[in-house]
Amino acid sequence: MKSFIQRYGVIAFLLLAVGTAAQAQYHNDLQFNVNYNVNIPSGSFRNFITNPAYKGFTAGLAYPITSQLRVGLSLGYNDYYQKYPRRVYSEGAGSDISAVVSNSVQQLPLLATVDYTLLKKGFIRPYVGAGAGVNFVSFDQYLGEFDNPQSSAHFAVRGEAGILIPLSSYSGTAIRIGGSYNYAPYNRNGIRNLDNWGIHAGVSIPIR
Amino acid sequence: MNRTIIRLTVGALLGITLLGSCKKDPLNNLTNDESRIYVTNYDTTAVFSSYSTFSIADSVAVIQDNQFAGRQKNGFDSLAINAVTQLMQQRGYQKVGTKDNPELAIGISRIYNTSTGVFSYGDYWDYYGGYWDPYYWGYPGYGYYDPFAIGVYSIQTGALEIDLLDLKNATANGNKLKAIWTGMARGEQVFNTANVSNEVTALFEQSAYLKK
Repeated sequence: MKSFIQRYGVIAFLLLAVGTAAQAQYHNDLQFNVNYNVNIPSGSFRNFITNPAYKGFTAGLAYPITSQLRVGLSLGYNDYYQKYPRRVYSEGAGSDISAVVSNSVQQLPLLATVDYTLLKKGFIRPYVGAGAGVNFVSFDQYLGEFDNPQSSAHFAVRGEAGILIPLSSYSGTAIRIGGSYNYAPYNRNGIRNLDNWGIHAGVSIPIR
Repeated sequence: MNRTIIRLTVGALLGITLLGSCKKDPLNNLTNDESRIYVTNYDTTAVFSSYSTFSIADSVAVIQDNQFAGRQKNGFDSLAINAVTQLMQQRGYQKVGTKDNPELAIGISRIYNTSTGVFSYGDYWDYYGGYWDPYYWGYPGYGYYDPFAIGVYSIQTGALEIDLLDLKNATANGNKLKAIWTGMARGEQVFNTANVSNEVTALFEQSAYLKK
């Protein structure tokens, strides 16, 4: 698992850095966003895991096109896990397995993003955003202590909305709170998708 | 600006490296009992109620890496034989000797598989001077040439296997002893004497059809 995270995570952040460095030659008003996430499985994902992922974060960079519109890149990480009590599973005619099943899924979405702030000024500034890109997935189902790990990459789309709360009228730093829906097609192991709802809280920091 | 980006990127890379430890490891959240799996297979054409008697081997076959390593009867084996006998009798079958024309034969096996690999322990030599300063050998200021350091590891896994053979229809089956039911237990401490009763019971409990 570490190798999966490190391999894809490092690749993702190098892409992020290269893209940002290219932009930085022309602009100096980038925004660095980092959020803590809690994500809740939805759709057919819930057939495997219903527990929320409490170990999650999103980090990204956003470049201003206008005072309200930003585009950027975002990398997220979510760790889903659920253990089911022992039960007997039928594996076809005449074959049964009794096992404690543990499902472990990690998602690492690397998305191109666009954010639009609805208000230019104000103590609370609502925003909406969207993202699309690649979702690196590690899927591991354990029967007892025996597992079958699989890693793969898939398309992913995110829609989100929330509010920005500037810390002061002079500072570009703002608290960022919101929710998102993550559409994550998967189509393996009998799972059609790894869709999830997310809530996040974090901070946006200007890079000058 | 560029320095900030570099700092952020380095920080992010460090964060990603730490992410591996953010994953909840399912194996750390399993008890030994939960680690074990019980697998049964049966011949769907077999009519288990048509059999009346069985005989069970008085020892256990030991199979090491797909090689027969002999028959043994240690404490675990005796408990396994007794547990299977007891459960078969509870299911309505009568135990008889091998010379009394049993309709079913039961063999129990302990199966061991060994996997091996190599690992490097070069990191150990990277800091060798910290463990044994060359000064200790009378060579202050010297260094060490690191050797090519690898190690070999070997992991052995085991499984308890119980096989139920059809003697009654051996001739009709083309002079072959057909396995009509198999049960296998695998996982942590599968050969612990404290677990044998639960393991055999689990295999029978998920085989409700196995009765007179």
